[in-house]
Amino acid sequence: MKKYGKGTLVLQVIGTIIALVYLLPFLVVFLYAFKSPEELISSSPFSLPKKLEWDNFSQAFEALNFWQSFGNTFLLTASAVLLLILLSGMAAYSIVRGGSKFFNGSYMFFIAGILIPYQVIFVPMFVLGSSLGFINNLFGVIFLYVGTSLPFAIFVMAGFVKTIPKEIEEAAFIDGCSIMRTFWVIILPMLKPVAAALTIILSLQIWNDYLLPQLFLTDNNMKTLTVMQSTLFSAFETNFNVGFAGIILSSLPILILFLLMQKHFVKGITMGAGK
Amino acid sequence: MNLDRKNTPSISVNLPAKPAASVQKKKRMKAGTFQYLILLLPPLLFFVVGMVIPLIMGIYNSFTDWDGLSLEKNWIGLTNYMEIFKDEMFLNSFKFTAMFMVFNTLIQNVAAFLFAVMLDSNIKGKNFYRTIIFAPVLLSPILVGQIWTKMYGTILPSINDMLGLSINFNFFSSPDTVMTGLLIANNWQWIGYWMLIYLAGLQAVPKDIYEACTVDGGSWWQKFIHITIPMLGPSITICTIGIATGSLKVYELIVASTGGGPGDSSKSTIMYIYDSAFMSQQSSYASAMSVIFLLVLLVFAFIQLKVLRKREVEL
Repeated sequence: MKKYGKGTLVLQVIGTIIALVYLLPFLVVFLYAFKSPEELISSSPFSLPKKLEWDNFSQAFEALNFWQSFGNTFLLTASAVLLLILLSGMAAYSIVRGGSKFFNGSYMFFIAGILIPYQVIFVPMFVLGSSLGFINNLFGVIFLYVGTSLPFAIFVMAGFVKTIPKEIEEAAFIDGCSIMRTFWVIILPMLKPVAAALTIILSLQIWNDYLLPQLFLTDNNMKTLTVMQSTLFSAFETNFNVGFAGIILSSLPILILFLLMQKHFVKGITMGAGK
Repeated sequence: MNLDRKNTPSISVNLPAKPAASVQKKKRMKAGTFQYLILLLPPLLFFVVGMVIPLIMGIYNSFTDWDGLSLEKNWIGLTNYMEIFKDEMFLNSFKFTAMFMVFNTLIQNVAAFLFAVMLDSNIKGKNFYRTIIFAPVLLSPILVGQIWTKMYGTILPSINDMLGLSINFNFFSSPDTVMTGLLIANNWQWIGYWMLIYLAGLQAVPKDIYEACTVDGGSWWQKFIHITIPMLGPSITICTIGIATGSLKVYELIVASTGGGPGDSSKSTIMYIYDSAFMSQQSSYASAMSVIFLLVLLVFAFIQLKVLRKREVEL
């Protein structure tokens, strides 16, 4: 490998400057979230708060209706991701092993969906969704997320299932295991690594999404964290530290997930871009 | 249910007629396909209801005059599509979105590439830098929009006061600078994402190619031009398509920051579609715009794939 020379030192300095620029907005969010409303006007943006003003957080907590919206977002994200992994596993397995033209054809059918982002069909999605009773219905929104994210999930899953040696299943068939049972007992547990990567990338997308929940979940007790947060700054125009406290509260869960699964994140993202 | 009733008798009739072994095999295969089908049906149902039917509905509605609420729905042919190309607001929103895409694709690609090269060198504390540059990816674009609105509006101007400068940071207050402001916010969020992809690409380049180049007396610049860039061809394709299509879909960031303003100067296409469908009740017109927009997305993805793949081969 190369030595740590003069060039590397220059890179180190450039890197540090970039990192500082990147940190600036985060720093501001943290400092302001803990400042008192009076300090908004009097102090400079980078001075430390005189004392930690936890009141901002309790106000944001209340304004976000935190437990309720956290619960909604969690239920929405977790169920959609779980269903997506299960269904894409089922589809990928039958497509790869099904063997007939029909299965190949349905693969192309699914994959074409990758090219269509839900942002270009949300108007008819809303029309159809309203007639199916999906308004203010968590399951309805889960259904739509699953439907629109399946193509991508199947694409990733199918790529993985292809690498599983057939011998493993053949042994199970000889022992009298049905295809269905083989899938549940043998194949599904083998999908763990790809499921972890998919979980990361899909959770990030669904947790942070705004357009669909904002359209469908209009009842205050059904809203997600991102939707609640989106109006916080206009609600607290003068003491906007509450808005900053809200930013911390509504992004904390996903930040914790990131810290816990940092290694999988990198894998999930590089895999996700493989399309 | 019908299938069962039809199948059962036919099998029992056929059974004695054929040799036992072949029947067994055939039956097994049929049962096999059936089980695979059972596995395929639930995902197919979700996909068809969640995506295919809305797509078809959208295309159909785009040829009608439906307002999204009333029972009346008349076929009006291509009228909506003719309207679109006369609609100043659509053309402006599309121009804005296209410019946003072009700048993003350039800036994000170059920055992500350079950041990745930097993190692939032997500087100290790589993990620290990588985590910080990646962190904004985790935030919802809504939060990013809110953070940067406050940055431009309150925080950066007070740096002016502190240092006695008079740089105009209020990017969102003028139609001329609103694009710059949004580009900074958007790139702050997404460079880290594409950086990871370039980094993965760089780490997959076999190290002995570089060593061979060193032995032949190649400088670091020659290595960069003749080894690094060509070897990263596939990553460049992925990132360019990803950034371009991602930028075309921009909506949340703008909702949370400028709201499309000042005036309508930063209204993106998705935002205009949303407003037409849900604010001014022109559901069918919004559908027609979506169809046009989808076609643009597809054409872009297709051209980029063709051009970039061709370049990859040439390199």
